[in-house]
Amino acid sequence: MIELFHVSKAYPGDPPVLHDVNLRIDKGEFVFLTGPSGAGKSTLLKLIFCAEKATRGQILVGGRNIARVRESAIPYLRRNIGVVFQDFKLLPHRTVEDNVALTLDVLGVPRIEARERVYQMLKRVGLAHKRDVLPPRLSGGEQQRVVIARALVNDPTILLADEPTGNLDPARTLEIMDLLGDVHVRGTTVVVATHDISLLTRYQRRTIRLEGGRLVADEDGVTLARRLAIT
Amino acid sequence: MSTSAKLRSALRSAVQGVRHGPFVHMVAVLTLAIALFALGLARSADGVIQSLLDALGGSVTVTIYLQDGTPEEEIAILVSTLEEQIGGATRVVTPRQALERLAMELPELSGLLDAFADNPLPASIELTMPEGKRDPEALQSLSKVLAEVPAVGDVDWGEELVTRLAAVAGGLRLGGLVAFIVVLVTTVTVVAATLQLAIYARREEIEIQKLVGATDRFVRVPFIIEGLLQGLLGGALALGLLLLFSHLAAPRVATLLGFLLAGAHDVELVPWRLGLELLAGGATLGLLGSMLAVRRFLRV
Repeated sequence: MIELFHVSKAYPGDPPVLHDVNLRIDKGEFVFLTGPSGAGKSTLLKLIFCAEKATRGQILVGGRNIARVRESAIPYLRRNIGVVFQDFKLLPHRTVEDNVALTLDVLGVPRIEARERVYQMLKRVGLAHKRDVLPPRLSGGEQQRVVIARALVNDPTILLADEPTGNLDPARTLEIMDLLGDVHVRGTTVVVATHDISLLTRYQRRTIRLEGGRLVADEDGVTLARRLAIT
Repeated sequence: MSTSAKLRSALRSAVQGVRHGPFVHMVAVLTLAIALFALGLARSADGVIQSLLDALGGSVTVTIYLQDGTPEEEIAILVSTLEEQIGGATRVVTPRQALERLAMELPELSGLLDAFADNPLPASIELTMPEGKRDPEALQSLSKVLAEVPAVGDVDWGEELVTRLAAVAGGLRLGGLVAFIVVLVTTVTVVAATLQLAIYARREEIEIQKLVGATDRFVRVPFIIEGLLQGLLGGALALGLLLLFSHLAAPRVATLLGFLLAGAHDVELVPWRLGLELLAGGATLGLLGSMLAVRRFLRV
């Protein structure tokens, strides 16, 4: 589903953010991407959904080499990838319903059909009763669920989540992680960037660790949990 | 999704954009209106200058003095040839009419004129030059050609007046053109900056749209519609201001021009064509301004 071959990313005048990263994530996998702040987790996600371009190397998403894709084709590629941002990126003056519908508006889904799909999606994340509310009136956990609803409403094959629980308390964190787990059970490939070790031990999923822009470990959840328990 | 459905969706988005940022849109519309009002004023002033010059040019007359004893048939032939080839209005002044005119214009000379046994003044043809043939070069060459005609004694084309008038006209036209260009460049710059400000306020929305897979066209069209609406509104407002200004200023301008030159006071300050130009100019500025401004924020 996602393959990276010798991928590097550097900005002029700065040391590389990512250095010779090779990895493969199969269809339907749930993967944690971890590492300290500045390890390159967010940059890696940005490369996958084409918000940034790799300086070197090849990236295949769903069999397409995105390093060679034309600029005009990027929107169509993004439609298969749902993204959950740490800072939510919700439009504060649009209702919850309008924010989630944005993904379908972009696809040109007829208004009536879009409203129905948005309603079903909001029901799934437990926010149907708040569809007419403006985002600033929601709690952090609720805003994050709106973002997840927006990312999933068009049934993408991949879901990328960048520190989705970064701003949330433990109870809301579990709520969001359960939601992502549910998405994965339905067949979506899920990649979650986090530096929260408690999540890694609790959910025991494949974990890719980045440090200083290099991939330093790629372990399955059980091995990781055992290692963390020993140390 | 059909084209009409897409257009409806873009229109809805444009209306939402206006609803969520009324202040920025109001600033954009007002800026457009003020800029277009200034442009309209410059155009109006240019129109007034043009009318003034036409009126002044109307007084450019070539006087062809005829030899004594030129038969009337020959004068008639000369008049018809002039009317045919030059196209201006002609008037034959007999020696008697010339003397009467002189006595009327300079009454203090009437005693002196009475001392002449015969009328010393020759018959003449006064030719009012048509537009486009009032420049000094054309008049000079015409006077040379006329001087060759046997029946013509002398030709007076008011060399000094015409040369001065041409210099004044050239200066006014150049001044008007420079003023118009300065206002136009300022307008385009201010309008583009204001629209950019309006779009800057919504850069987050553009970024999010792009991140969820919007094409450039999807993002651009509502902004272009907004720009078009702002431009039309700004143009209409400018037209209203200009009509109001014209209503208030027209009597003063008419008095001034009427005093300077008879016949020029019926100049139209806001011709209907200028109204159309303002609306079309507003729409074009709004369109171009928003197209240029939105392009900067599409790179996400």
